[in-house]
Amino acid sequence: MKKLLVLLVVVLSISMFAQVTIEFWHAMSGWRIELLQNMANDFMKTHPNIKVNVQYTGSYRDTFNKTVAAVKAGNAPHVVQIYDIGTQAMIDGGIAVPMSDLIEEDPNIDQGAFLEQVTNYYTVDGKMYSMPFNSSTAILFYNKTMFKEVGLDPDKPPRTYDELIEYARKLQKKDSNGNVVRYGLTWPTHSWFFEQLMAVQNAPLVNNGNGRVGIRPTEAVFNSEAGKKIFNLFKTMTDEGLLLNTKREDWSGARQIFISQKAGMVLYSTSDVKFFVETAKENGFEVGTAFLPKPDRSTQGGSVIGGGSLWILKNHPKEEIDAAWEFVKWMTEPAQQIRWHLETGYFPVRKDAIEKLLAEEFYSQHPNYLTAIMELLLSKQTVNTNGAVMGVFPETREVIETEYENVINGRKTVERALNDAAKTVTKALERYNRVFK
Amino acid sequence: MSWKSKLTPYLLLIPTFIVIIIFIYWPAAYSFKLSFYQESFFGNRSIFVGLDNFKDLFTDTEYYRVILTSFIYSFSSVFLTIFIAFLISQLLVQNIPGTRLFRLFIFAPYAISPAIAGTLWSFLLTPTVGYLNYVFMELFGINTDWLTTTPYAFIAVMLATIWKMLPFDLIFYIAGLQSIPDSLLESSMIDGANLWQRMWKIKFPLLSPITFYLFIMNFTTTMFASFGIIDIMTKGGPLGTTTTMIYKLYLDAFAFQNNGSAAAQSIVMFAIMGVITFIYFHNVEKSVHYQ
Repeated sequence: MKKLLVLLVVVLSISMFAQVTIEFWHAMSGWRIELLQNMANDFMKTHPNIKVNVQYTGSYRDTFNKTVAAVKAGNAPHVVQIYDIGTQAMIDGGIAVPMSDLIEEDPNIDQGAFLEQVTNYYTVDGKMYSMPFNSSTAILFYNKTMFKEVGLDPDKPPRTYDELIEYARKLQKKDSNGNVVRYGLTWPTHSWFFEQLMAVQNAPLVNNGNGRVGIRPTEAVFNSEAGKKIFNLFKTMTDEGLLLNTKREDWSGARQIFISQKAGMVLYSTSDVKFFVETAKENGFEVGTAFLPKPDRSTQGGSVIGGGSLWILKNHPKEEIDAAWEFVKWMTEPAQQIRWHLETGYFPVRKDAIEKLLAEEFYSQHPNYLTAIMELLLSKQTVNTNGAVMGVFPETREVIETEYENVINGRKTVERALNDAAKTVTKALERYNRVFK
Repeated sequence: MSWKSKLTPYLLLIPTFIVIIIFIYWPAAYSFKLSFYQESFFGNRSIFVGLDNFKDLFTDTEYYRVILTSFIYSFSSVFLTIFIAFLISQLLVQNIPGTRLFRLFIFAPYAISPAIAGTLWSFLLTPTVGYLNYVFMELFGINTDWLTTTPYAFIAVMLATIWKMLPFDLIFYIAGLQSIPDSLLESSMIDGANLWQRMWKIKFPLLSPITFYLFIMNFTTTMFASFGIIDIMTKGGPLGTTTTMIYKLYLDAFAFQNNGSAAAQSIVMFAIMGVITFIYFHNVEKSVHYQ
């Protein structure tokens, strides 16, 4: 018996040595935890020599923090999913193996396989650092059934700020005491939408080419006309009781308000298309999706991709980096991208995946899945629509959200709030840059 | 005494000291050092900035507001918790049927984590679908966005804190009340003291060591451990009205990766706690009556 056990241990350890183990940390909660685990399991089936330990490490922010701690402690994961706004900090940390280097060395893949609009975001100063994986943009979801009920055309979503206000007025409902019981619009009160609406107007957040021309930005410039237009829109709508502001960054709160039909429209991420369409059906209404509204029809800009990307971290043996690359590459293959797309709403980042879905006539039956992709593909490609790059992005979001709250609570005028926000961010940028002199 | 037996106590203390040094003194010394530096996010760059971190803090009017918020939040919730706990504990030592069961229920908040408490209150207070909001709506016809408007968010966070901290104080007061000899109370009744007098002139002074202890414990809790409830309920908003010192520290350290400033803030908090504890022990303890 003892001999058998020893033998077993020996056999096991030999087979383990033959296998390369990599750690994969991600920030996808809920049903997506299981989905990613299943995808990793499928990967391991086809790649028996690689073992992937999948670990859900909390929110984007938590995952970023854990990565920082792990890097400092010298046991960083091989593959980690980092949010869009962590890009500059990751680059400055000098801890990543740039994806474009790995792509160049690999004869089986070409960077042209990916949507340029997506890779542009993760390409800073000519180098693509991370692999876009779960990419999303903000879109407008609206309740088609409610549109019909108040006499609006369900196939004509609002395109301009004026239309948005006009539609919201029709959707709003008050009780006999004058309390608003149904709002026109709701949103997760998240600075991401401010950034998106800036890109729609092709306006930068920070100087030095929105931080994309190889020099770190030194000044915040979002207190421009474009910024004021956005704040004014939200203030007008809040004052009239057309817009229900959730608490800060409360995604599930906004979702719940829209699903329970307390609001007719919601600004949200395309990442939850599947959830919205299905849950709305259960609740007896139909959902439509639309591009983000713009100040006037002549405005030309686009949407910035958000979401996360996969980073491969340095300081691991060569065979582990190779295994990590194998895994990341596999994750972006059309089959995986389509699976991920259909189960969530995040759009595929590879051209061939979209081609395949078009050929299968998937989008003619599920047009809501196409909205974000079209919004992105039709975007004018500039440094502004490719998204700002700066180290102090998390802080910037906090500042913008605080000043937004100052505006809707009537403590500050739009102009003052935006100027104060820009001043604070500029100071934070100066502090950040000080270390890199 | 031989040198061996002189050495024994030190030998026995070593394990404790090792633990304390590793987990308390060393990190404290490290954050002291860190407060004079600015580090890049991943720690690959670090520069000495002298007192800049402190200068930035104290030239920022926002930071004074955070300190004020912390004080209002801490002092009022500590005062209210102690006051309410003292009153409720009087009821819980009466031999009414069902008291034990009731005690069990009222202690429950202490056993759950701050994160769960925060989530629970968030659910109750959600503007459109919260139960408490529904009750207010039905009773008074008002619909308040408890978590997103001032000053309600601050009140909501305070309520949750009191609710969470109350059982801790209750346990101590109940134990204290049960140890007051009946003879004392009986003799006071014979002397004609009414309920009110018995409560404030006899029981309260007798329990003053407990109140003294609870104040410091509660104050530390609200200053340092209020993070969970705030993070879940309001994330420091709206308008930063629920951003206490510990929450700002968390944001700077773990959201904005600004370690230098966070370390400086921890030094400031350390100093404030030190001063308050010092004043408290030197001035208030005189009026505490030990049996």
